Amino acid sequence: MLKHPRFVDMDKCIACGTCAEKCPRKVDDEYNEGLAKRKAAYVPYAQAVPLKFAIDKDNCIYFQKGKCRACEKFCPAGAINFEEKEERLTLNVGALIVAPGFEEFDPVQYDTYNYTSFANVVTSTEFERILSSTGPYQGHLARPSDNKAPQKIAWLQCVGSRDVNRCDNPYCSSVCCMYAVKEAVIAKEHSDVELDTAVFFMDMRTYGKDFEKYYNRAKDEQGVRFIRSRIHSIEEDPETKDLILQYVDEKGLLQTEIFDLVVLSVGLTTPKSLIDLSEKIGIELDEDNFAQTICFRPVETSKPGVYVCGAFQEPKDIPYSVMEASAAACEAKATLAEARGTLVKEKTYPPERDVSSEPARIGVFVCNCGTNIGGIVNVPEVAEYARTLPGVVYVEENLFTCSQDTQDKMKEVIQRENLNRVVVAACTPRTHEPLFQETLRDAGLNKYLFEMANIRNQCSWVHSKEKEAATTKAKDLVRMAVARAQLIRPLPQPTISVEPKALIIGGGISGMAAALGLAEQGFKAYIVEQSEQLGGNALMLAETWRGDQVAAQLGEMIMQVKEHPLIEVFTGATIKESSGFIGNFKTVITQDGKDSEVEHGAVIIAVGAEEYKPNEYLYGQDQRVMTHLEFDSAFKQTDERIKGAKTAVFIQCVGSRIPERPYCSKVCCTHSIRSALALKEMNPDMDVFVLYRDIRTYGQREKIYRKARSKGIVFIRYDLDNKPQVLQEGEGISIECLDPILDRKIKIQADLLVLASAIVPRNNEHIAQLFKLSLNEDGFFMEAHAKLRPVDFATDGIFLAGMAHYPKPIEESIAQAKAAASRASVALAKDQITVEGVVSHVNEVMCRGCGKCVEACPFGAVNLVEREDGKTVARVQEALCKGCGACAVVCPTGAATVFHFEDAEVLTMVEAALKG
Amino acid sequence: MSEEFDPKIVVFACNWCAYSAADLAGVSRLQYPPNLRIIRVMCSGRVNPNFILKAFEGGADGVMVAG
Amino acid sequence: MNTKSSPVGSVCVIGGGIAGMQSALDLADAGYFVYLIEKTPAIGGVMAQLDKTFPTNDCAM
Repeated sequence: MLKHPRFVDMDKCIACGTCAEKCPRKVDDEYNEGLAKRKAAYVPYAQAVPLKFAIDKDNCIYFQKGKCRACEKFCPAGAINFEEKEERLTLNVGALIVAPGFEEFDPVQYDTYNYTSFANVVTSTEFERILSSTGPYQGHLARPSDNKAPQKIAWLQCVGSRDVNRCDNPYCSSVCCMYAVKEAVIAKEHSDVELDTAVFFMDMRTYGKDFEKYYNRAKDEQGVRFIRSRIHSIEEDPETKDLILQYVDEKGLLQTEIFDLVVLSVGLTTPKSLIDLSEKIGIELDEDNFAQTICFRPVETSKPGVYVCGAFQEPKDIPYSVMEASAAACEAKATLAEARGTLVKEKTYPPERDVSSEPARIGVFVCNCGTNIGGIVNVPEVAEYARTLPGVVYVEENLFTCSQDTQDKMKEVIQRENLNRVVVAACTPRTHEPLFQETLRDAGLNKYLFEMANIRNQCSWVHSKEKEAATTKAKDLVRMAVARAQLIRPLPQPTISVEPKALIIGGGISGMAAALGLAEQGFKAYIVEQSEQLGGNALMLAETWRGDQVAAQLGEMIMQVKEHPLIEVFTGATIKESSGFIGNFKTVITQDGKDSEVEHGAVIIAVGAEEYKPNEYLYGQDQRVMTHLEFDSAFKQTDERIKGAKTAVFIQCVGSRIPERPYCSKVCCTHSIRSALALKEMNPDMDVFVLYRDIRTYGQREKIYRKARSKGIVFIRYDLDNKPQVLQEGEGISIECLDPILDRKIKIQADLLVLASAIVPRNNEHIAQLFKLSLNEDGFFMEAHAKLRPVDFATDGIFLAGMAHYPKPIEESIAQAKAAASRASVALAKDQITVEGVVSHVNEVMCRGCGKCVEACPFGAVNLVEREDGKTVARVQEALCKGCGACAVVCPTGAATVFHFEDAEVLTMVEAALKG
Repeated sequence: MSEEFDPKIVVFACNWCAYSAADLAGVSRLQYPPNLRIIRVMCSGRVNPNFILKAFEGGADGVMVAG
Repeated sequence: MNTKSSPVGSVCVIGGGIAGMQSALDLADAGYFVYLIEKTPAIGGVMAQLDKTFPTNDCAM
């Protein structure tokens, strides 16, 4: 491995920005896609981690011309080091995870789009920066040619995707439809005028969870126009720099429209550097240059011990990248299970000093934050003022309170001055409180004896033109913090033990993959399956889209699960009751009328989903009309209805994307095309039709769509207001639909009709209630965060996998299941879990047992219990409590309080705020 | 009125949303009048009506609960 | 020391975008030493460039 020099000492750099300010060299800012400038001494963006500057050697005047070194001269910390050399490092590791991402497609190849010569043709990433408040126009919607606000913007989809003519990318990039819809919606929100937005597309692929709803809202409520047409070329008006688009609309008429700005929705590609990297590592790539994997092992590369995740495996969005990331971690952890904990050390702290009998001795540290605070707020004046406040025995000013040397000094001062409270007036506790609390612990103080005054984010930065008022406000904020510091107390942080086992509800592909993921890491897993056998929906499936035979792979998986000594399976079983919290759940499983109780530290919900049974298109009335799963079963058994068929028709979106069930079931387009191809392979003379609304073969699934068309499978689009009509006619089934290209009715006589029926959630209410989880409007389980926490629930210790979350194919179910196993193992790998000290507490002497707090608690953390003396009181389960304090507000007697935010601790701030 | 009215405003802000929004306002360098004082709570649900009354009693001209 | 029976308890993650970061966190939180390798001066990847994310229109930062 080669470590590039940054020419800035990371330990010394205090991120003050002086080097960038003094650096005379301006270069294009890649963070803003070249739409703005940065210096050669720079941080990529304001929130960058690490927030340390670097010198861009290729653009630095000193490196190029041998003179300048202005940054070195002005750096207050002496952090600049031009002598830093490249380092060659060798790492000895047990596993490798490859997550290098993608490069966006360079639209220069589309010469008729004139991306380089027309100023107002931008890529989607450039448009993200245009929209951003940290972007080149500070979030004001403007176009590059004249910085004027556009009134009409067009998006052109599939630039560098689904195209083998102008580039060599046959695959769909999976994410562009949704980001274009999003950009159009946000652009409308940003615009001061009524903005006209138009998205030119081939198939709208809004297949993910809650995507279709977002699309419908954009179309029906926000007025984004969607036009089904692929634009050939962009013309420019040389005077106005406006852009002219010509297209053929759905009625076949030629239209001309003028737009102020055109956004190219560029696809995702693998850059050359990653192809080289793969060669070095020795992993195989597929023909589209993505890492080769198989559906049943979605994150394993061709080389053992090397795992892949994210868009380098196949173009994909954020939640699926995050899922795969955890899945790859799961595989690495399983490979290295024996070595867990061998290379990490637990940090130890000195014993805590008992300060309970001491009067408050407060130390105040006022930070300049370079010039961020000091350039606006008069810091010496604030420090001087702090000395006058009651309880304050020590005050100092720092250039950067957060820097490592100040932390070392702070520790020393706490011990020397015998401080028992620390106030830091600086940035925000949301980012820096943990750092300072760590220093308190190192100094032998309880971490809750700390308080911050936010004099940067909420003072100097927002009142930068009113220096005096900002100084007054800073003083007030310090006074408030000091007042509160007088009252805060040390809090215990109870630890709870962890039962290193997991309960997995559901024994389909997801449940089994999760169980194997945990068992391979050395954790016991219980699988509870309600039916009599393992396998779930996959028992009925024929092939994956990549062509693997599901039965063989599934059989192997079931065998592994049954034989693994750490997996215990309960079939024909249901969950009767469950209680507890992360680390310590107790669940009663009912099997054959008998109850058994298991203890476990985590739960994985993998209950799956089921196929919708249609009530239209002659389903249930004619044996030749069947759903996908019925077709797969019949196909595997070479049923006469299939073997003898001469004309087969597939109808898409049966029960999906309709007003009563607005979501897209995601897997049906791919499934129908896979089945249609299987029919063609079996009997090349068979006529096969697919009636669809949008073909959603996202990612590399697009390849089988291409293949299907080349094999002569006919695709006919229909609209929701013109659904196909299906009738029994003589011997056959007649299907009538409107061909939008020919604009006339066509009639197909078929002897096989397959309905691409929706995937619907199971009856999840019971499980949701047992574990206090939420369901979304459609009835699927709701994850903690749609983007960044797709396998976690808001409740700690409970995780989500497979179609219980949303319809998805096998490879995604397995990835999510392995991800759930990874997330669960993070909890199970610990001997103990430390609970935060900011929790509620009920004074049982004052409690009347009215239960108002129980109702108010959003986390189910408060329960009424009957004590031995017969009195009913409320008790808080600290592991579940998030310290929100809702209980304290509703408590009529004042028995319920929140540590660290007790009434007095808040009210003293109110009082101090108004004193000035 | 000869003097311009300069109200004192007390803000109770939820740690998870409004308080972080106020931080973000800083990161974005948005400018607003310096006459409000933000008090961080772990949830806007922590704000007892009594807190609001105390603020008015102490001389606040406005109280904002944001969460 | 590295015999077949005792693997090395560390993992190298290439790429500091959302996927690489999530892998690294999961591994480190479960007791493995992680080397996270990123070619640019900061981690965050492409998501840090995005303005907002759907369906909630949350700020990507």
